[in-house]
Amino acid sequence: MTWCRRGLGILVSVVLLLGLPSLAWGAENPLGSGAEVIAEGHALFNKLCTVCHGVDGAPGDRGPAMAAQRRYLRQTDTELFQAIQEGIPDSEMPPMGLPEDDAWRIVAWIRSLRAKAIDVPADGDIQQGSNIFWGKGECGRCHVISGRGGLLGPDLTNLGAQMSLNRIQEAMTVEKPHPPLGYRPVTVTTKGGRTISGVSKNEHNFSLQMIGDDDRLYLFSSEEIDKIVYGEKSLMPTDYDRRLSESEFRDLLAFLSRLSLRRRESSSVEPNQTP
Amino acid sequence: MIAEMSNRAASIGRVLRCAVVAGLLAGGLSAGEVTYEQLLDPPPENWLTYGRTYDSQRHSPLDQITKENVSQLAPAWIFPMPGARRLESVPIVVDGVMYVSQPNEIYALDARAGRQIWKWRREPARQRGNNRGVAVLGNLVYVSTPDAHLVALDARTGSMVWESEIASSEDGYWSPAAPFAIDGRIIAGNAAGDYGLNGWLDAFDATTGERLWRFYTIPRPGEPGNETWAGDSWKTGGGATWLSGSFDPELNLLYWGIGNPAPDFDGEPRRGDNLYTESVVALDADSGKLRWYFQFTPHDLHDWDSVEIPILVDAPYKGRLRKLLVHADRNGFYYVLDRETGEFLEGVPFIDKLNWASGLTETGRPIRVPGVEPTLQGNFVCPSTSGATNWMSPAYNPATNWFYLAVKEGCGVSYKSKQEFRPGGFSYAATGYIESPRFPWQMFVRALDLTTGERKWEYRQVNSRHYGAGLVSTATGLIFAGDDQGFFTALDAVTGDPLWHFNTGTRISASPISYAVKGRQYLAVCSGVNVVTFALPAGPEAD
Repeated sequence: MTWCRRGLGILVSVVLLLGLPSLAWGAENPLGSGAEVIAEGHALFNKLCTVCHGVDGAPGDRGPAMAAQRRYLRQTDTELFQAIQEGIPDSEMPPMGLPEDDAWRIVAWIRSLRAKAIDVPADGDIQQGSNIFWGKGECGRCHVISGRGGLLGPDLTNLGAQMSLNRIQEAMTVEKPHPPLGYRPVTVTTKGGRTISGVSKNEHNFSLQMIGDDDRLYLFSSEEIDKIVYGEKSLMPTDYDRRLSESEFRDLLAFLSRLSLRRRESSSVEPNQTP
Repeated sequence: MIAEMSNRAASIGRVLRCAVVAGLLAGGLSAGEVTYEQLLDPPPENWLTYGRTYDSQRHSPLDQITKENVSQLAPAWIFPMPGARRLESVPIVVDGVMYVSQPNEIYALDARAGRQIWKWRREPARQRGNNRGVAVLGNLVYVSTPDAHLVALDARTGSMVWESEIASSEDGYWSPAAPFAIDGRIIAGNAAGDYGLNGWLDAFDATTGERLWRFYTIPRPGEPGNETWAGDSWKTGGGATWLSGSFDPELNLLYWGIGNPAPDFDGEPRRGDNLYTESVVALDADSGKLRWYFQFTPHDLHDWDSVEIPILVDAPYKGRLRKLLVHADRNGFYYVLDRETGEFLEGVPFIDKLNWASGLTETGRPIRVPGVEPTLQGNFVCPSTSGATNWMSPAYNPATNWFYLAVKEGCGVSYKSKQEFRPGGFSYAATGYIESPRFPWQMFVRALDLTTGERKWEYRQVNSRHYGAGLVSTATGLIFAGDDQGFFTALDAVTGDPLWHFNTGTRISASPISYAVKGRQYLAVCSGVNVVTFALPAGPEAD
């Protein structure tokens, strides 16, 4: 069985995924992990919990953020439910004693913050998002999906299963202080006078390996190099919330959040098609 | 920013294309695509297939390292593979980029610097068997996996482009062999026959991953050869394809060695010759149809997989130029076949301790010696199940017209019992063997005359009592060999004299290669958990 062939593979798997019932991370929650439950939980959290925690799960004056880049002590639905209802000993977290359904709604929302994007994919027009990715958004110039696209940026074939929706959104809207490892912009001038720009994949005192803007791989030993100039910022644009309309941005997120290699059997498609 | 970058990329791209066209590359390397034409006639500096060339001769035309200067050979770089156990991978080198693998992982390395360019890891990483290398074609790198899939990656980034199932890992299959790239197709095999899982060979479309044909190594009912299996024993007959093969593009034939029948040590349930186990098969590369076969060990009882790499040579035989296929089998015999027809031409033992057959008939069938079959109490047999040679590749030097191989002298005691087949990937060996304490194994490198099998010399690898390593031959009359003591040694191809050695410190179980980057020749071999490379002291590099 062959799978994961070019773009249509992604599209078909997306369609199949949409038809699936609530996903494993909400399995303990009697209310499930549907969009409505999450929205209700979100509203309840902002209404009941922001005395200590920040609005929308941000850090608060007395309580921590609900989703951040760290290990969570309470991973499961049940653990979160118990923390809400019974409080956390030796901390400022009090027992809330909410109606059980409300507590489960809040659990569903917190888990959605921490879930990978494919678990809680963004709403929107997926086909339109794909069109923006390969067209107006120019994402495909630097990013590859299932073998199609440019090579300067990370492979996004499995993006939805690797990153949360929040992080995907941040990557498109918040500038990072430093380019990530393996994607540092670099321009090399050789002793022969050639100039090649791209991103450095690896470098040390005696050699440098890079992907050029032409998507070719270049290997240099230090004695071949006359000059190296580094770019200070990542090549990843962070103005997508401005360069795209609100609906276009939403559609792009809907497309990106569904890029996943999970459920391999479900994604068998015809070869060599593009969305 | 992206628009600016794209404009810059476009303008630089134009400049680059001009530079390439004008041949102005000055300094640095740009890794390129691999064409089928290059696979047919590999540039001397590249090592593009498991055996370097389709005939699997493992003979490098590079001539910088000679008998005169080999004593100056020194390590160039060492790359430890994180989490590795015992590497058996044969590295592939394309225009200065080395691709080397272990189960579930591929590393792309700068072949001059030993620095990692990218790494691909399969998740979830199922642990089963070894991995013996990758194939390259176009811009893709191909590897087979412990969960029996064939995966295609972008050679520049390691991004996965497609994957196809070779066999069901739930049934117990895995795929350890290096895939084999021909024109637009990738050939892949599977394991394990020892579990009673029937093997096959698949051809996949190199671009899409679509399966094009399949050859079943155990004939199904109605197919010729099925009658060589008693009753339903063909259903669990084994016949794995766990090593790579060879290819004759003129005849358009693939040559592949087939593994042992199952249950390995109990032949009672599977009376008959058990085709096509312990055979080499010649398959039409377009259709996968069987053109001919030759069975080395009919009704094998000692798990002597005949997967050892066949070498293809066009050479005079009894006064006439013949297209030959030569093969040193794990059963201890060296065979010379006509590769157009499969006709048996010669067969002689290449080991001294061989007690299971008194010779071969005119058609190459072994003349069995009774009393060496596995029994409940154990029977003494030479060679042992580990074989007179194994996965470690032989080499051929056209100048000497000699065949070089790693040889194991040693005997074993084989036992059998009754065992029922259990689906899902469980041993169906019906017991096993031990190495004989009386005749513990001893490794050698031996040179054989191509067409007669006459032994020309041998190099004893003192104290080497484990599977050895493969060989590479060079145009300057050198043979490079590894051993289980960790020594990588250069031998004189004419005399067998050791001319240089280096102690890598860990067992070498893989086959070495030779390549060049910017005019500097390297040797590379996987040793233990490391990729180790050697070169002469650096001089000025050629542009």
